Amino acid sequence: MFLNSWSIALVICGLVVTFLMGFAARSGIRVLFHWNPDSDANRQIQLENEIWLTSTLVECALGVQIISLVVFVLAADFYSQAIVGAMCATGSLLANNFGVPALIVKIGGVFFYGFWIVLHQLDIRSEHYPLVRLKYVYLLLLLPFLALDLTLGVLYVAGLHPDIITSCCAVVFGETAGGGPNLLSGWSPRLSLSLFYGSALALLAIGIVLLVRWRMWASLLFSSLCLWFFLLALMAVTTVFSSYIYAMPFHKCPFCILKAEYHYIGFLLYVPLFLGAFLGMSVIVAEPLRSLDGLEEVVPRFQKRAVVSCLALLLVFVGVATYPYLRYLILGGEG
Amino acid sequence: MLIELDRVSKTYNQGLPNEVAAVREVTLAIADNAMTCLRGASGCGKSTLLAIIGCVFQPTSGRVTVAGKQLARLPDRFLALHRRQYIGFIFQRFNVLPALTVQENIVLPLIPLGLTPQQMRERAGILMERFGIVHRRAFPAGQISGGELQRVAIARALVNDPPLILADEPTAHLDSRLSNEFMDCLAELKAAGKTIILTSHDPLVTGHRAVDQVIDMQDGRIHVS
Repeated sequence: MFLNSWSIALVICGLVVTFLMGFAARSGIRVLFHWNPDSDANRQIQLENEIWLTSTLVECALGVQIISLVVFVLAADFYSQAIVGAMCATGSLLANNFGVPALIVKIGGVFFYGFWIVLHQLDIRSEHYPLVRLKYVYLLLLLPFLALDLTLGVLYVAGLHPDIITSCCAVVFGETAGGGPNLLSGWSPRLSLSLFYGSALALLAIGIVLLVRWRMWASLLFSSLCLWFFLLALMAVTTVFSSYIYAMPFHKCPFCILKAEYHYIGFLLYVPLFLGAFLGMSVIVAEPLRSLDGLEEVVPRFQKRAVVSCLALLLVFVGVATYPYLRYLILGGEG
Repeated sequence: MLIELDRVSKTYNQGLPNEVAAVREVTLAIADNAMTCLRGASGCGKSTLLAIIGCVFQPTSGRVTVAGKQLARLPDRFLALHRRQYIGFIFQRFNVLPALTVQENIVLPLIPLGLTPQQMRERAGILMERFGIVHRRAFPAGQISGGELQRVAIARALVNDPPLILADEPTAHLDSRLSNEFMDCLAELKAAGKTIILTSHDPLVTGHRAVDQVIDMQDGRIHVS
């Protein structure tokens, strides 16, 4: 294990989240057995006060866990300085069997934890706590996933040694693989771009349809397209756009763009992408709640805002991703 | 009916050795546009009951309905909104901010409404005129007399034009002349359509002509003699 500020931050983060979620699980079980919104009894009022505090703590804990994705990637990038063969986070993540699974679970966590925060925010906008039971059942279901997230994170950090030899991003994502694992060698850039821009246009069209007149099928399609576009965008950034940012045809990597050498442009790509995709997917998460008592105004308002924000953020993402590519096409090089 | 309390209890420090049951199973109905006085010895629970009606405290159990809305378990953000729209509270020690001027104290409840400074000054000006404190407008509240302080507290409670005025022992620190003035002022507000609830054990208050109903409290319960 590398004992440095990054590992310590990740482990402490995990411990704090575990503690808070343990506390929340206790409240969740009490909600399952004793929650009765029609009761004026002391226990119900105490429970309402308790879940107010618990929900706030859970929201913070899940927020921290979402942010830990960034810390995790930056930590992996930092570890690459000490691991033989690694040039960036790609090499570090492949340095043991837990790196990539931990990253995938953390990316999934951004959405799953975020959905809980959405439910909570909708719930506290009603006078009657209509989603308490739902959000605590969801929280209890989320606990094994969270445990997996924390365990993989700790196992990854604990399993890192300076004597490990790993591969760099040029091997992992390059078109001419050497002896190392090659993840995307068969992926055609032309296909990537066609699907990428086609999906972006489809997303925009369905978003506009939704904003003009809300339809359930359209919200389902919109959210599904957001998920599809998110996965596609990660692929397109890695196989196509990153090369234009690095100005090197054989350098394809989703992590190096986060470095100072490339003006941290990766953050400008990933933040709108993650946030936009998350908001787009939240639309369908909120859809079944539209008719619930006390949420008739809150949910439609949230959904419309989510669609608008999602489209705006993904537009920013497409713009930032396309700029180096377009610049290259127009100027025929770096200019 | 404007206000209904159904088996409302309030226990401080619940489950601790110093547990105190301040209000016990109080069921009560208070009519619209009436002046009601909660009377009882110190520690009988009348201020706690008033604070529950005013959404300052949450009951330990029971149901509180004000203007058709169940308040006992309303989340904090909605309680704040309710307090702002429906309730003007005059505290026993007035709770004005001594470092702020008289006008600044009065406009405080208007700030969350998003009014322009001009609109806020106008509203405060009408009330300062009405209560004869307009000449103290720019004085820090810490430098004015007790009677003026009380009028600042009343003006602040009324600046949002709430339908319900609550006053906790409002004459406790006043001489009989100021107490009478205060009660006359409440009588005017009642005539203007406000519902008023106050706590007091001062005969000058409980015996005032404008008081419609006196409710006696003892050991946290309503005492029927």
